Amino acid sequence: MKGQRIVVVDDEPQILRFLRPALTAAGYDVVEAETGKQALALVATVAPDLLILDLGLPDMDGKDVIAQLRSWNTIPIIVLSARDRETEKIAALDLGADDYLEKPFGIGELTARIRVALRHKTHSEPAPSTIRSGDLVIDVEHRLVSKAERTVKLTPKEYDLLLLLASHAGRVLTHGALLKQVWGPAHEHDLQYLRVFIRQIRAKIETNEAEPAIILTEPGVGYRFVTT
Amino acid sequence: MPDDSRNNLNRPDPDALLGLANRAGRGKLTIFLGAAPGVGKTFAMLSRARIRKNAGADVVVGLVETHGRAETEALVENLEFLPRKQIDYKGRKVDAFDIDAALVRRPAILIVDELAHTNAPESRHPKRYQDIEELIAAGIDVWTALNIQHLESLSEIVAQITGVQVRETVPDRVLKQADEVILIDLAPEELINRLKEGKVYLPDNARRAADSFFRLGNLTALRELALRRTADRVDDQMVDFLKQNAIEGPWRTSERLLVCVGPDTLSEKVVRTASNLASGMNAHWIVVSLEQSDMVDDDPSRQMRIDALFRLAERLGGETRRVQGRDFVQEILRIAKREHVTQIVLGAPQRSLWQRLLRKSLTDALLEELSGISIHLITTEDQPTHDWFAPLKRRLAANRLKVRPKDVVTALATTAVATLGGRAMVEIVSLPNVSMLFLLAVLVSALRGGYFAAVLASVLSAVAYNFFFISPVGTLTIAAPHEVFAFFIFIAAALIAGGIASRIREQGKIAARRAAQTQILYDISSKLAGTVDQDAIVWTAVSQLNGTIQRPVALLSPIDGVLSLRSCWPPDTELGVAEMAAARFAYEKGEAAGAGTGTLPNSTLQFRPLRGPVGTLAVCGYGMDGHALDPVEERALGAILDQVTIAFDRAMLTTRSVEDKARLERERFQSTLLSSISHDLRTPLATITGAVTSLKEFGDRMPAESRRDLLLSIEEEGERLSRFVGNLLDMTRIEAGALEPVRDWVDLGDVILDSVARVRRIWPDLDISTSIAPDLPLVRADSVLLGQVLFNLLDNAFKHGGGEPVTLYAKFDARSVSLSITDLGRGIAEKDIDRIFEKFYRRGKKADGRKPGTGLGLAIAKGFVEAMGGTITVESPAVKRRGTRFTLRFPIEDALKDRREP
Repeated sequence: MKGQRIVVVDDEPQILRFLRPALTAAGYDVVEAETGKQALALVATVAPDLLILDLGLPDMDGKDVIAQLRSWNTIPIIVLSARDRETEKIAALDLGADDYLEKPFGIGELTARIRVALRHKTHSEPAPSTIRSGDLVIDVEHRLVSKAERTVKLTPKEYDLLLLLASHAGRVLTHGALLKQVWGPAHEHDLQYLRVFIRQIRAKIETNEAEPAIILTEPGVGYRFVTT
Repeated sequence: MPDDSRNNLNRPDPDALLGLANRAGRGKLTIFLGAAPGVGKTFAMLSRARIRKNAGADVVVGLVETHGRAETEALVENLEFLPRKQIDYKGRKVDAFDIDAALVRRPAILIVDELAHTNAPESRHPKRYQDIEELIAAGIDVWTALNIQHLESLSEIVAQITGVQVRETVPDRVLKQADEVILIDLAPEELINRLKEGKVYLPDNARRAADSFFRLGNLTALRELALRRTADRVDDQMVDFLKQNAIEGPWRTSERLLVCVGPDTLSEKVVRTASNLASGMNAHWIVVSLEQSDMVDDDPSRQMRIDALFRLAERLGGETRRVQGRDFVQEILRIAKREHVTQIVLGAPQRSLWQRLLRKSLTDALLEELSGISIHLITTEDQPTHDWFAPLKRRLAANRLKVRPKDVVTALATTAVATLGGRAMVEIVSLPNVSMLFLLAVLVSALRGGYFAAVLASVLSAVAYNFFFISPVGTLTIAAPHEVFAFFIFIAAALIAGGIASRIREQGKIAARRAAQTQILYDISSKLAGTVDQDAIVWTAVSQLNGTIQRPVALLSPIDGVLSLRSCWPPDTELGVAEMAAARFAYEKGEAAGAGTGTLPNSTLQFRPLRGPVGTLAVCGYGMDGHALDPVEERALGAILDQVTIAFDRAMLTTRSVEDKARLERERFQSTLLSSISHDLRTPLATITGAVTSLKEFGDRMPAESRRDLLLSIEEEGERLSRFVGNLLDMTRIEAGALEPVRDWVDLGDVILDSVARVRRIWPDLDISTSIAPDLPLVRADSVLLGQVLFNLLDNAFKHGGGEPVTLYAKFDARSVSLSITDLGRGIAEKDIDRIFEKFYRRGKKADGRKPGTGLGLAIAKGFVEAMGGTITVESPAVKRRGTRFTLRFPIEDALKDRREP
């Protein structure tokens, strides 16, 4: 895992000032860029393993960088944003960003997200046959879910939704993306479906429904399946 | 699946549902209907009110006459009464129903007796049913009582049956639109008994009439009318219910009547008969008046008769329409087709033998063209009179045959000239026939004077021709037979030519009048076209209207939600209470009000609403002077008001779009402001959090140098954050007016040196040169604030100075101490210079490759300087088309005076 190359794109020198030593200390190769154009050029030339991208860039919108990159590259992208506007994050995620972090953030959180994103990149080919989160086990092959050794009965839709979240464990999936994949494009905006189903699934798999530990809510953005 | 319901054909009739929806928000009208006075309507109404009151309903009595009857009095004992209004009427006080008190009190149910009552002249509405309609519209349920003989459409029948002419009538629509009709029935014999026992109250002056009215036959007939009307209503309700609930027929196919009327006397009967036919068939009926489109009808009385007919038809529940066209038959057919008319009602006028021979009647023409539509012909009741002169009398009565002295003079003069000219010609050229000359005289008279002058000139010419030229000359006898023949041909030719010429003249006049009208419209539309200023529109409208109708004109429109007078002509036109009330009514209800209308007729002006696409925009009032506008003025008024409405609507849209744009701009500014503040706060926070967590997690794996740099960045960002928060707080203090400078004696030199030192600590590479005049007087200022101002200005110079040297001068003259800071950067663009002191205003992001500031520094500097009584100005370019100079000035009077004192 060591020696993986990360391109950090941010126009605030202060941010780069701590990201550089911290990520270097964490064992990554850090390449810096200040503008969107530089970032696109760097991705093409230095072939990084991951991109950390600030959405507010001086020359172009961070979202446009994602859109352009995604037309030819599948490199994991983690978005940093000082903006707390949900629509920005959702747009970035829907354009193909893998995850987002809101400033200010702790470096531990960032490195955890980096690890998740990189793991997805390396293990993207063979799908795991079982997914675990605490005492929850999803047997993908047999479509079986058990909680603390006891079988959990899920409806087909509930199962599809849970599997979708679990197979992107650690990453946030937007409401739109979940609805589109589970219910089809026509229901992309029927948020109430999702809320009801998430509640039902949580009732069946969470130890304490009031404090969900497996399916976390990202307010205004989507849901995240946590494996640990 | 929900889609299945769409295929269901048994859907409720949309019109029926709309009818229901229109009732939402309105109060309910309950009418206690009786056949005659004394059947117990008031008693029934009050008994019911008492029951509702005891059940907890908010029942209030607006107006009830108990006529001192004990049994009725007992009923009203614990009911709440509205106070009555005292109205002065012909010197004595009259108790009247107070509609405003009712609107203020807003009870759930209000009882107002006597629906057909006519209000005192000073009241808001002439009729009580109009008061009640307003109450209903305001959402109050009203209970009222009505005797069947007061119903408009029955007044004629009642008069026929009972021989009593009913004056107080209520339009049929009131009963038709009532939500509930409760029939109070009493057998006629019993009613007569009650009357004999004195249980029925009648005013003294009605006693005599009562005996002939309260006869068994009359009462039975009235009872039948009341029962029938109620039964019709129940039937209507049943049909409505079926429609609303999508219950399949058999519904009655809806009959539609087309009623053709004109200004003749028969038309009133046509309308009344059509109304009865329509209510019997439960049919929709449309009344049309036909006007010749190529004739201007100058006779106002004809128009007024049509208007009166229309009002009657509307009261009876018909729809009215004016139709202009050349071919009446085709027009009628067109309407009949478009409106799916099933029956046509028209009057059969008495036609003379000549008319019958020469012209096909409208009826015959219609009969030839129509198929599938039946025709009702209404005949007069008068004995047909054979007045041979009727058409001639009519023509003479018409305006154009009015005998004017001018016409007589014209005819006489032209004939005299022709005679003299003829004599002269006979002498000179021995013209064999001078009749041509007289024909010319007739034509000239016709063209100058009109039809009457032409006829008169024909007669005079014939006499003169005969007398002076036909042998034997000097007598009125004619010798030669062929001269007799020629003479009569001359008369015929003169009359025909005169008639044609006068018609040409009439048409010329009409064309000229049309042209004038078109000119007025063109003028006003071209004046209004380019205007989006409401005041200009209002002024143009008022002056043009006043010029057109020659009456006082006023235009009102709402300003800040209150209807106010915008412009009027003549300028001293005053609007009294009645006028303002009428104007408000017209504005709120969107219908004409004031003089000549049914609402507030004692206002001197009539007010018309200007209705745009989104509601009433304004109201226009004009003086009535006792008579209505003639049709030409009416048309001109309508056309001008239409133009003004369009212009007004456009002006309002323009104003709104400007406001919208400004608001959008403001919102956009606020949103960028918010995001920029959040960015400025978050970036240092993100750096501090990031650096601290980095040290915590990976500190032991980092080289010492990196650790030191992270710690340093934490310190710097902390300071940055603190500065920004400090700026925000300062700005808040300035804006809240909470800044209280501690004004003390300050040595400017000290403050300058201190600030420069502070700036140098932060930006060691900034090149600052200072030049401070010796003997600089002390300034009364707050040294902390002043230091902050200098720091902000130097900070600004550093950010925008492009690394060039910054110079700082402090000098003084007789009046002030001034301090200037000049940088040699790119300067400020002209478009920015006015906004440079606005808060959160930043020049182009990263203009000089450096980080932009918070956009607060200069705003704070200005706020502080002004709080200390100084001024701050900016000039750019400052030196050789480069750089920016900020200059602070503090008045020296303070300084000098105080320097001597201590």
